[in-house]
Parts: sequence; structure tokens; C-alpha cells
Amino acid sequence: MRDVQELVQGPGGPRRGDARRPDMRVTRHGDLRLTRWADLRLTLRIVALTFRAQAEYRAEFLLKVAFGVAWQVSIIVFAAVLLGRFPGMGGWPSDAVLLIAAMRMLSHGLFELFCGRATELSTIVQAGKIDAYLLRPLPVYRQVQLSIFPSNALGDLLVGVSMFTSAVVALDTAWTPLRVAYVGAAVAGGALMEGAIFTLLSALQLRLPAGLSWSRWVEELLSTFGNYPLKILPGVVNGAFTFILPLAFVAYFPAATLTGNTSGLGVPAALAAAAPLAGLAGFVGSRLLWNFALRHYTGVNG
Amino acid sequence: MREGWSTAGITALGELLSPSRLTGTAARMSVQLFLVVCLWHALYSDTETSGGLDEGQAVAYGVLAVLALRLRDTDRWIGRDMVIQQIEFGTIVYWFLRPLAPWRYYLRRAVGDQLYGFAWAAAGYVVCLLAGVMDPPASAGAAGAFAVTFLLGQSVLYYLVLLTDQMCFWAVRNDSAVEILQFAQNLLSGGYAALWYFPGWFQTMSALLPFQATLSVPLSFYVGRLPVDDLPRHLAVQLFWVVSLAALTRLVWRRAEHRVVSQGG
Repeated sequence: MRDVQELVQGPGGPRRGDARRPDMRVTRHGDLRLTRWADLRLTLRIVALTFRAQAEYRAEFLLKVAFGVAWQVSIIVFAAVLLGRFPGMGGWPSDAVLLIAAMRMLSHGLFELFCGRATELSTIVQAGKIDAYLLRPLPVYRQVQLSIFPSNALGDLLVGVSMFTSAVVALDTAWTPLRVAYVGAAVAGGALMEGAIFTLLSALQLRLPAGLSWSRWVEELLSTFGNYPLKILPGVVNGAFTFILPLAFVAYFPAATLTGNTSGLGVPAALAAAAPLAGLAGFVGSRLLWNFALRHYTGVNG
Repeated sequence: MREGWSTAGITALGELLSPSRLTGTAARMSVQLFLVVCLWHALYSDTETSGGLDEGQAVAYGVLAVLALRLRDTDRWIGRDMVIQQIEFGTIVYWFLRPLAPWRYYLRRAVGDQLYGFAWAAAGYVVCLLAGVMDPPASAGAAGAFAVTFLLGQSVLYYLVLLTDQMCFWAVRNDSAVEILQFAQNLLSGGYAALWYFPGWFQTMSALLPFQATLSVPLSFYVGRLPVDDLPRHLAVQLFWVVSLAALTRLVWRRAEHRVVSQGG
């Protein structure tokens, strides 16, 4: 199959002399970049191409979607089993606990859709593709995200949306416009926080191929401990999941704010309520660090 | 013959030459064990018994599950010696040209990986036992039943992983199949939580699949949730899966030979 970038840019790729073309611009650092409109068109075209490429392997494509569904369903089953067997988790009612799980699952689906490729960056590094990405007129981070269509995100989102809808309907609360806006921001913030965590870990993968094991392990931690009230765990673990691996900001804090279960969070209620902003700040910070790591990236040829 | 078995040590040697990876493995395993112990103690804070398991049994089961999953956690991707990688790189053809049959090579690499993982799991087990984090086996009989069923369970797991790798000869890509297998194995074998907590229909479904034989059965013997008298029945089921999967994978190896094409035909 021809390289996706070659298909988009045509043979030879862009040249400096092309700056006079309406779809190219020169940045203040002197780099050649696409205009925003051309950038968007190119991005959408690459997404369409990678989707077609994935769909070529039909069995793999369907299995990927199925995996997304199965992964999310397993979380529902696991959460339902624990809730059934051990009711009253930290004094939280069942519908509030389900809201945590549902918000995290939907956030995870969005994360997979937009930033999921950060998890396995070492595969791209090992194949030497980063070196080629550095020569192209699109941000490297975006090229990493566009490198493969996230078919599994379709399954993740399918179950995530269903679960989220059920949890919201089941929750005994008045859905004022402010609450609706907050829950939307919280889901986006959760996806950004997950993106921040894995973007940071992928910065590690730019240097160490073994960073992949850390990413997979953190993914497992998030799916195991991200769906329940963390207050059931000892304070030290609770603190670690707030300040070291901030999974509390993904769904636990926003759900606590929405349901009014703000006692024993380990942080002031105002900080918990600001979880969507924390997600945004975390993602911006992680991207800056990622760019810093990329500037210090060394290819196999030095 | 002896040289052939030296391939079993490839992963272990690779890991031992990378102190950062060793440290990372030790750190991840320690934190995971600590978190699992905390979780199960917390869940049992208001409950005496659930699913026929008391707090001590639940903690022991959780710790053993983490350790057992470590056996399969060796990262061969970095070493670029997975079947999918060999097929993508076109180097799978060398597996069929060497004096060592491909299925033998695969077996020895897998045995080496599992033994390396077992060394980590055994070390973790001894530390947890000495630290009083978990209880010893329920009885001497339970320890024996655990040992035998654990060994057979690992054999079942080996064949299941082999089967997904063999898919690459036909499907070109097997990433999702491997992920689904790992996920199904973790969930349906009782790796995430003991199957005793799950509803009846889930336990019945699990009983019809091979995954339960890999983890749930040996761990349930260890904690005394399964009586030792049930050992013959469970051994028969495990043997059935081992023999069936061995025959199936052998057949698939033969078919796979005819599908290997070197670059250029």
C-alpha cells in the first residue's frame, strides 16, 4: 500500500518553494506549515484513508470494534458484580457509583478516538517512523494520532454512550442546564486527563522502548481503580491516585460534585469541582513536555 | 537438542541485561500487589463472607491472580520475535528452514518466557507470604491440588496463546485477536475478580470455556474454595482442554507450513 502521506501530498512532498501556494504558510520560526483550512482538510483526508486501510482487513477491523465493546462490557460486568456483592461502597449509592464508571468509560472512548495512539508510541519509534514525521508539514503529535484509525474506539464509544445514558437517566437528580454543561465538560475533561497521562508516558517512549510496559500497566490501573469511589482505599493510595497518577480527576471527582458525595475526597470540594479544568491544564502541560521530549529525540542514526 | 533449549533463555537474558526493565517490573508488581491487597481489604470492611470467600481467602486469591498474570507479562514485542512481527518482516520463513522445527522453537521460547515469569511470581509469593500479606494454602492437599492444576492451567494457556499466534498465518494481523484473548483470559479465568462473585449464568458460561481451567481452578484449590475431592473432575477437564488444543494447534502448524511464502515467492 502507498504511504498515506505520499497519497495526500503527492510525490516528493512539499518543497520550500511551495510557500507561495495558497495552502502553505511559513511560521515565525521559518518552518513550512499548512494553512489552517488545508490542515483540517488534510487531517480529515488522512482519517478517511486510515479508515479505509483498516477496513481492508475486515476480520481485524470487526475484531477491533468487538474488542472495544468487550473491554467496556467487562468493566460494566465487573462494576455490577462488585456493587452487587459489596453494596454501599464508601457510603455512595449504587447509581452514583455507576455514574463514575459510565463517565470514565465515555471519557475513555473519547480518549481512544482522539489521543489513543499515544499509548503505543514505542512501536512507531522502533519502526523509525518518527524521523519521517519530523520532515512533514503536520505536527508530529497529530501524525502519531493519525497513524492508524482507532477502530476499537468505535466499540468503546458505543458501549460508553449507552452506559452513560443509562447512568444519567438512573441518577436521581434535577438536570439543570448548569449540570448538563458540567457533565459535558467533565467527560471532556476526563478524556483530556487520560490523554495527559498517556501523553506523558509516551514522551518516555520517545526515549525508552520499554516505556510501553508502563503505559499498558497504567491503562490497567485506570480500568481497575478508575470506576469506584477512591475513598474506600487507604489515604495514601487515595492521595497517590489524586496527585501522582491523577485518575481521581477523570470521573471520581466530577461524579462526586454532581451527586453531592463530597465528603472524604481528600481534596477541597472546589478543587474536585474543577476537575474538567484540571484535565485541560494537565493535557496542555503534557503536550508541552511531549514537545520538549521530541526536541531531544534522537533517531537511530544520531 | 541442548542447544535448542538454550533458546528458552533468550527473553530472560534480554531482561537481565536491562536493569531499567528489571526495576520497572519489580516496581509495577509491588505496587499492583499493594493496591490489590488494599482493594480487597476495603471491599470486605463491611462484609464477612461473599461468594463463599472470606476476607483472607479473597486477599490470597487476589494476590495469586496478580502473580499468575505476571507469568504472561513478558514483553517479547521489544525483542521483535513475535509471530506477527516475523510474518510482517518476512523472516518467519527462517523458522521453517532451521534444523529446529518451528513448533519446537515456539514451545521452547514460550516455556522460557513462562519460567522467567514464574521466577518473578515465585519471588513475589515468598515475599507476600513472609510479610503476612496472604495466607498459605488451606491444607497440604490443597497445595498439591493447586500445584497440579496450576501446571495444567499454564499448559492450557500456552495452547490458547499459540492458537492466536497461528491466526497470523491466515489473518495477516492478529493484534485484536491477542487483545481479545488476553481480555477474555483475564475476565473469564477469574483474573480480575474470582468467578465466585459472578452470577450463575456467568459461571456456567465460563465452565464451558477453557479459560477457567487456567486460573480460577488452581487458585480456588489454593484458598480452599474448591474441596480437594473435586480434583479428579477438574483434572479431567483440564486434560481434555490440553489434549484438544494440542491436537488442534499441531494440525494448524501443518497447515501453516503450506502458507509460508518467502519474499518474492
